[in-house]
This record gives sequence, structure tokens and C-alpha cells, in this order.
Amino acid sequence: MATLKAIRRRISSVKSTQQITRAMKLVAAARLRRAQEALLAARPYHEALHRVAGSMLSAERAALAPAEDARPAGLILVIASDRGLCGGYNANLIRRAEEEARRLRAEHLEVNLFAVGRKAADHFKRVRVPLAGESINHAPRLATFVLARALASRMLADFRSGAIREGGMVYSQFRSALSQHPAYERLLPVSMPEAEVAGSSQTQYLVEPGRAELVPVLLRRYVEASIFHALLEAEASEHGARMTAMDSATNNASEMIQRLTLEMNRARQATITRELMDIVGGAEALRA
Amino acid sequence: MATEFPLRLVTPTGVVFDGTVQQVDAVNPLGEFGVLADHVDYITALVPGLLTITLPDGTHHFYLVSGGIAEVRQGAMTVLADDVGLPAPADEAALSSAAQSALEKLAGLSLYDAGYPEAADEIAVFRARIRASQLAREQGRQA
Repeated sequence: MATLKAIRRRISSVKSTQQITRAMKLVAAARLRRAQEALLAARPYHEALHRVAGSMLSAERAALAPAEDARPAGLILVIASDRGLCGGYNANLIRRAEEEARRLRAEHLEVNLFAVGRKAADHFKRVRVPLAGESINHAPRLATFVLARALASRMLADFRSGAIREGGMVYSQFRSALSQHPAYERLLPVSMPEAEVAGSSQTQYLVEPGRAELVPVLLRRYVEASIFHALLEAEASEHGARMTAMDSATNNASEMIQRLTLEMNRARQATITRELMDIVGGAEALRA
Repeated sequence: MATEFPLRLVTPTGVVFDGTVQQVDAVNPLGEFGVLADHVDYITALVPGLLTITLPDGTHHFYLVSGGIAEVRQGAMTVLADDVGLPAPADEAALSSAAQSALEKLAGLSLYDAGYPEAADEIAVFRARIRASQLAREQGRQA
């Protein structure tokens, strides 16, 4: 049995860990709120752009197909986080990315991975999977339009030059603070969901300067906005996952403190009993 | 005939303007264009420039737009701007010399060169900022 002193030391160490996890939970909750607000603020742009892109791009299949002599390769952006302590968030995401990579390989496409976030980059380096590129250190915000634009222009450049036939991203969809869902979204070649096409195909626009000029502009915006949206979802998911993980860590610490306190009391009681026994035994010996 | 129509000016980070307007003027690759009520369904790219909104009471709102897409559909206009700023006084002399050097850079490029669109946009940005700065000064004088 551990000594009283050792148990006391453990309790104080668990307490200080709990203080840290509690603080991290509060910080994650505040960041989650901010990320959710940003997600909400981005929605009107995202929806309007999808509507416009749906009506314009669905009629432009030829212009949007990959180059005929394109290399049989695909590019996957893996949008993970820079920092850990967020439960299974990164592990789930990486597993989803590897699934998608296997699917591409089954279709005889070479897989190029682009890691966003230190955790994804470190993982692929550890398992010795070469990366097509990486983008890390996004403190304090992951979801910036500048990053979305950089990622989009990389993907579009590869697609146009014929280096890839398919471009997509794996990111975590934000459902609630408790639930995040890693998902793959194909960006290139563009495929519009049927509903969006059906709802807007009747609109005959007057187009300036011309369809040929407008389609690339629209396509770039569409890819940028989709990536930006994914970054926002990923950011909210990360903070949600961290909040949940830190909440259960705090609860676990409380339980542990309770258990250790019980153990400590028991040890103390045992010491007292032993001392009493000694006294009583001594008195009995004297009397005898 | 209606003289007003709904306008939404949105950016990836939020809604900048949502309301009823009388007229919208902006810049596309062909030059300045204006939209009034009952405009035909229309879609265009925006180049960096000044977006002017005329409210039903005749007052103007100015925004500095860095590019985007404008759409008119069933009488409602949506402007999807990359980034929106408000006109602010700036060092116009420095801006116009920057515009001049950008123009010289552009003169060395052909229409089919890789950097051409960016270089053309750069000039448009400087010109728009000069115009915006002038407007900000005028507004300051009136106030």
C-alpha cells in the first residue's frame, strides 16, 4: 500500500492536471463559439455561390473535364489540426484520408497527399508516405481566406496543367460539439448536385464578358469557397473535439481525485488504528 | 414599374449589405456598368474597383471591392465579393506612382502571359483606391 505522503503527492499532481484540462476546455469552448459564428457568417456567400455556380457550370461539362492527356493521379487535401489533445479527431480524419487514397489507387490513380495541419504532416512523415505539399502553423486561426485561396490555386494549377485528374479534400464536417464526421468531398472535376442544377437551370443569363471568360473565374471562386467552407468546418470540429476530450479528461481527473482521497483516508485511518493498537498493546503489557 | 430592387452584398466572412436599393454601379472587365430595377437576368465577373449603391432616398454608399461575381436573377441582385473595404483617405501621390509603375510592368507583358491578369488587377486596385480616397475626402468636406 502506498504511503500517505505518496498518495497526497499524486492527488496534488492530478489536481494540477485537472486545472489545465479545465482551462483548455474553457478556451476550446470560447474558440468553438467563434468558429461557429464564422461558419454561420460564411453561409450566405457559400449558398449564393453554389446557386450561381450550379446554374452556370452545369452547362459547361466540356470546359470542366480534366485534360485528355492528364496524368492518372489525384490530389487529396487532408485538413487536420496543428495541435493535439483533441481526442480521436486527427486519427479519424487520417483514417478517412487513407481510405480515400486506397479508393483512388483501386481506380489506378497515383495519390498525391497535401497535408494541412501539423498532425497530418507528422503522421504521413512517420509512415513514410511522401507528401505533395504541406501547410502548417496556422495559429491562431486555421480558416482564413488567404489559405483557402492558396490551396485552391495549387489544386487548380495541377488540374489545368494535367498533373491530376481528380482533386478533393478530406475534412471534418461539424455536426455538433459532440459529433464530427470526417468526409471526402470531390472538388475537381466539378459535379453539381442534381437539386442545385434542377433549381436553377431555367435561368438564361446575359453573360459578360462571355462564358469562356466567366467560367474560369467562377470555377476558381467555387473551389476557393468550398475549401474555405471546409476549413471553417474543420476549425469548428477541432475545437468541438477538443472541448469534449478536455471535458472527459476533467471528469476523469475528478473521479481519480475521489478515488485517491478515499485511499488516502483509508491509509490515514489504518495508521491511526495501528498507533492505537500499539498504545493499547503497550498498556496491556504494562498491566500484565 | 418598380424603381427599387433587393441587393445583397456578401463576402466569405459575412453579409456586408442587405436591403433595397435604387441603383448599383460597379466595374467588370468591359468597364463600368449600372443595374436598375427590372434588369435582365445577368451574370458578370467584377474587377477591383468601386461599387456604388444608390439607396431609394438618393444617398450613396461606396465600397471598395477587390473582385468577385455579380448576379441579377429575377429582379434581385447578389454581389459575391472577395473582399470589401470602405473608402479611406490614403496617400494618393504614392498610389498613383505605384499605379504608374504597375502600368509600365503591364506594358512589358503580352495578353497571353501568365502574369497579365494579376498585373491588370493590380492597376485596377491602385486606381480604385485613389478614387476611393478622393471620395472619402469629398465626403469629409461635406460632413
